[in-house]
Amino acid sequence: MTKQHQNWSPYDNNGGTCVAIAGADYCVVAADTRAVGCISPFTGAVRQKLGMLRVISHLGMFGGELSRADKSLMASSGFQADVRALQKVLAARHLIYQHQHNKQMSCPAMAQLLSNTLYYKRFFPYYAFNVLGGLDTEGKGCVFTYDAVGSYERVGYSSQGSGATLITPFLDNQLKSPSPLLLPAKDAVTPLSESEAIDLVKTCFASATERDIYTGDKLEIVVINADGIRREYMELRKD
Amino acid sequence: MKIDFSGLESTAPLCGANSEMFDGISTSPSFQIPDTTDFDDFQKEAIQMVKPAKGTTTLAFIFKEGVMVAADSRASMGGYISSQSVKKIIEINPYMLGTMAGGAADCQFWHRNLGIKCRLHELANKRRISVTGASKLLANILYSYRGMGLSVGTMIAGWDEKGPGLYYVDSEGGRLKGTKFSVGSGSPYAYGILDSGYRYDMTVEEAAELARRSIYHATFRDGASGGVASVYYVGPTGWKKLSGDDVGELHYMYNPVEPTVVEQEMSEA
Amino acid sequence: MKLLDSTDSGNSSSIERTQYPYVTGTSVIGIKYKDGILMAADMGASYGSTLRYKSVERVKPVGKHSLIGASGEISDFQEILRSLDELILYDNMWDDGNSLGPKEVHNYLTRMMYNRRNKFDPLWNSLVLGGVKNGQKYLGMVSMIGVHFEDNHVATGFGNHLARPILRDEWHENLTFEDGVKLLEKCMRVLLYRDRSAVNKLQIAKITEEGVTVSQPYALKTFWNFNAFQNPTAGAEGSW
Repeated sequence: MTKQHQNWSPYDNNGGTCVAIAGADYCVVAADTRAVGCISPFTGAVRQKLGMLRVISHLGMFGGELSRADKSLMASSGFQADVRALQKVLAARHLIYQHQHNKQMSCPAMAQLLSNTLYYKRFFPYYAFNVLGGLDTEGKGCVFTYDAVGSYERVGYSSQGSGATLITPFLDNQLKSPSPLLLPAKDAVTPLSESEAIDLVKTCFASATERDIYTGDKLEIVVINADGIRREYMELRKD
Repeated sequence: MKIDFSGLESTAPLCGANSEMFDGISTSPSFQIPDTTDFDDFQKEAIQMVKPAKGTTTLAFIFKEGVMVAADSRASMGGYISSQSVKKIIEINPYMLGTMAGGAADCQFWHRNLGIKCRLHELANKRRISVTGASKLLANILYSYRGMGLSVGTMIAGWDEKGPGLYYVDSEGGRLKGTKFSVGSGSPYAYGILDSGYRYDMTVEEAAELARRSIYHATFRDGASGGVASVYYVGPTGWKKLSGDDVGELHYMYNPVEPTVVEQEMSEA
Repeated sequence: MKLLDSTDSGNSSSIERTQYPYVTGTSVIGIKYKDGILMAADMGASYGSTLRYKSVERVKPVGKHSLIGASGEISDFQEILRSLDELILYDNMWDDGNSLGPKEVHNYLTRMMYNRRNKFDPLWNSLVLGGVKNGQKYLGMVSMIGVHFEDNHVATGFGNHLARPILRDEWHENLTFEDGVKLLEKCMRVLLYRDRSAVNKLQIAKITEEGVTVSQPYALKTFWNFNAFQNPTAGAEGSW
C-alpha cells in the first residue's frame, strides 16, 4: 500500500459558544446547540447537532431533569467527546460528594473541583472551554471562567468557545464593572435585572451567529435563582 | 515514562472503598500522561490548541520594613486579551505570597498545592514554614516535572522567624534567593524603574509607590501587561494589600494633562 | 490491530500502534422508519485503493434489540463485535430478565472508542448503532475519537456528504418499510456512482420490536449512460 496515511489526531474542534451572567440574586447560563464535526476518518466539516449544555444536578448523572436543589450549571464548548467525558467525571464526583456529605456541592466548591479535574489532565488536556454558573452560599449569582488546563477566576460575566472573541467585547461594553482588584474596592454588581440579562444573552447569540460559523441552530438558556431553576430555548439562524 | 507523583500525595486519604470501579474518580488523583511515542511533539501540539493564558509583569523586593510585591492583572492568549482581572499575587497564607508568571493554570494549581503543604507543615510542626522551606518545596516539585512543558516563573515572598524572605522559583528548576526580582514579559521595563529608584531604607509608602510606578511603566511599554496594578506589603504582622489601581488612570496621574498654551491664534481670512 | 515492537514488548510506551487503517469499509447509512430502524451498507472492503474483499458483512445484530453498522478498519470492527458478544453474554448470564437496549450499547461503544483514543490506540471506525426497545426507536453514531450523537438519520464517511443531504430532504417520521428501503437505495446508488470504494453489492438490515432481519446481498440497478458520465470533460475543456 502506498503511504497515503490518513493521519489521525486525538482532538477535533466541534465549536460552540457559551455565555454566563451573574446578577445579585440570579445566574443565567446559555449555550448554543450546534456542533460542527468531521465525523469520519475522511476530512470535511459536517454540521451536526450534538447538545452540549448539560446540567450538573443531583438527579442526573446526566441530562436529567432540572432540580430545585441544583446549585451549579456548566456550559462547555470544544471537543464534544472530551466535554462529555469531563461532565461525566464531574457528575460522578458530585454524586459521591452527595453520598458522603448528604448535601449538594456549593458552586464555588464545584468551581475548584472543575479546576483540579482539568489540571490533572495537564499533559493530555481536555479540549474543553467551560463556564460554570450558579448561586454561591449567600445566594448571590456567581460565574467562574476557565482555560482548558484549569486556570480559573470568579467574574461577573463570561463567554467561552468559538464565539467568545465576538461576545466578550460586547459584554465588556454593556456590563463592565470596576475590577475586583481595585483598592479601595468599588461596588461591582451586574446592573441588570434577570429579564434584562436574558435579553442580553439572546442578543449576544443572535449577533454571534451572524459572524461565527460554529455558532447557531438553537440557543439553550438555563436560569437559576432563589425560586428555582428553569430552562428556555430560542431558535437561531440555521445556515 | 516514569514520573514522580509524590508531589500530589495527600496525607488525608479519601474515605470510602478504594475499588477499581472508582479509579480516577474517588481515589487520590494523578496525572494522566499521554501514551504517545513522541511526548514533546504532542505537548507542542496540545499547547498550540489550548493556548494557555500568558504575559505578565510581576516584581518583588526586600527593603528595610519588609517585602513589597506588585503585579499587573492581564492574561493574553496570543493577541487576544483573555482577562483583565487576573489575581497574579496569590495569598498562600497570611504571611506568605506567591506571584504568577507563565502559564496561569500551572501557577494557580501549584500555588494551591503549596498552600496545602504549608498548612500541613504548620499542623505537624506547630510553627509556620519558613520562606526558604516553602520555596524549596515548590522548586523540588517543579524540578520533578522538568522537561514536561510546565511554565512557571514565580516569586515566593513572606515573613518568617528570620525576617523578610524572597525567592525566585521557576519551572526549569531554578531557585534563587535575592532582594530584588521582576518576572515576566514586562520585567525589563520594571527593572529599569526599580533599579534606578531603589534604596534599602525606603519607607513603606515610598516602596509602595516605587513598586506601583514600576508596574505602570511596564504596562505602558509591554503590550502583554496591563489592567490593574496591585501592590502588597509583607511585614512582621503578615501581608496587607496596599493598593489596586487601574493603570489607565495611573497614566494620567503620572502624566497629567496640562492645558497647552496656544502660541498663535488662527485668524479668519 | 496491534503491532508489538519485537525488541521490547513489555513497556507500554514502546508499543507501536496502528496509526493508519489497512482494510477499510466505506459508508454506512441508518434511518428511523415507522416501525424501527433500517441500515444499509455495501459489502466491499478496500486495501488502500484496491477493492480487495467483496463479501464483507458490515451490518450485524447485537443482542436482541440492537443493530451495529461500521465503516473503517474491518479488523477493528471484528474486534468490536467480539467484545460486544462478550458484553451481551455476560449480560445474559445474570438471567434477571433484563437486557441491554440500543441506548446502553451505544453508550458502551462510545466509552470504548473514547478509551482507546485516550490510549493513542484508536479503533479505526465510525459506527452506527440503531435499535428498538420497549417501543422506543434509537439511532446513534460514534466516531473514531469518541464523538457521539443521536439523530433520525445518520451516515458515516462519504455518506455524510452525499447521503445526508438527500435524507434531510426526504426523510420523515412515518416512512413505511418499502419507502424507507427505497430511500436507502437512492442514497446507496448516489454513493455507488461517486464513491470510488463503494461496490454494487449491498445489504439492508431492519430491526423492529420483533427482531432483526438482514437481507441477502443484492445489487442495485444502475444507469451509466448519463450525459455527465459519458462525456465528463464537457464544459471543462483543457482539464483531464
